[in-house]
Amino acid sequence: MASFTPEATIGPFYPGAFLTGFSQDLWTVAPLAAHHPQGQPMVLVARFLDSMGQPVPSLVVEFWQANAHGRYRHPEDQSEAPLDPQFDGFARLRTSEDGVMRLRTIKPGAHPVVRGSGEMRAPHLRLTIFASGIDRLITQVFFDDEPLNQSDPVLQSIPDPRVRERLVARRRTGSADAGAASEYEIDVILRGEHETPFFDDWDQ
Amino acid sequence: MTTRDAVQRGGRLLPVVVNDRESETRTPANRLYRIPDAARDPFAPCPPAPVVAAAESDLTRIAPGRPPARGETIAIAGRILDEDLRPVRRTLVEVWGANAHGRYSHVADAIRNDAPLDPNFYGFGRLVTDEDGRYRVRTIKPGAYIARRDISWWRPPHVHFSVVGSGVRLVTQMYFPGEPLNETDFIFLIVPQVDRGRVIGEPLTSTSGDRTFRFDIVIRGRFQTPPDADE
Repeated sequence: MASFTPEATIGPFYPGAFLTGFSQDLWTVAPLAAHHPQGQPMVLVARFLDSMGQPVPSLVVEFWQANAHGRYRHPEDQSEAPLDPQFDGFARLRTSEDGVMRLRTIKPGAHPVVRGSGEMRAPHLRLTIFASGIDRLITQVFFDDEPLNQSDPVLQSIPDPRVRERLVARRRTGSADAGAASEYEIDVILRGEHETPFFDDWDQ
Repeated sequence: MTTRDAVQRGGRLLPVVVNDRESETRTPANRLYRIPDAARDPFAPCPPAPVVAAAESDLTRIAPGRPPARGETIAIAGRILDEDLRPVRRTLVEVWGANAHGRYSHVADAIRNDAPLDPNFYGFGRLVTDEDGRYRVRTIKPGAYIARRDISWWRPPHVHFSVVGSGVRLVTQMYFPGEPLNETDFIFLIVPQVDRGRVIGEPLTSTSGDRTFRFDIVIRGRFQTPPDADE
């Protein structure tokens, strides 16, 4: 059994240049390009709060998701759903002073839990969260208009329905983005009474 | 909490860094939830590695041909390995740190820190590992800086590392051997004693040129061979 390099916080001085090193808008492959990813453009507005109810600025989220067909651009995803040449499914964003970030992306498709299985993962976004004061946190965000939430094995693994609900983004009416087919919002509470559930991806 | 809730949580309870207000207000108080075994598919993002210019791994010059940054030029080199100790190939490594005076080139540091900027040091760089998972960066030995004046908490010299891609994700900090401030730094001390050697660079002897520290990184997760470029 190897020993692993311990994780640490990104601290307060994470270079902004690293944010722009990756896409921050998954609708757009390049400025003025006519190419666009397949599927429905959506917006997720996520607000991050601390135990005092204060917004958390300069928090970095890496989003990772399937494309509109439910396929990840990952060597281990051997599903028969097609890749989308215009969609890699990775974005890195930072919260503003009011603790908010807006992700412009494509609504992810549902996909089998494992290849060929009848059990389905509901459409969801995978979040890796970094900020001063915390080490890497991971969680997943679901959408309140998806019936598959009722049988999603990750969402339903959280026994308390009130806690489970904290991972479900609510659909808003309208969007500030003219191109959005839908806009969702969610509060992620890092610590406190209504704390968001986070997952452990270490082997037990 | 129901019994089932307690069982399902079963994951780690994350430690809080003493005297770090942001850690105290941002670290989840509840245990992490275990991911059901059936759904333990790639949680770690696998973004395609960006195209990175060779000069981006030399932090001592802000552009080729510019004057060198102030301070001692050092090299940090090592390998990125997965949990089976296989090389993590073609993965992105991002590196950042303070300048020789202990000042970051970040607007947030201007508020706190009256140490000078160095016009020839931005303090961030990146590279992609080779086929053996190797990396090498040139940078400046960072200065120490004060994190909290009211309790005289100094951060020892350290360099931040981030590894993303190829099925692994890790952010860590590398410290330098023999620094007295290591022993009083709350962020260093939260590392379990048995693992502290893992975050201290190892000075290499008999090198010519830059003083070099070896820093191997072993990450939980299994390296996945990235698809071929034309796939």
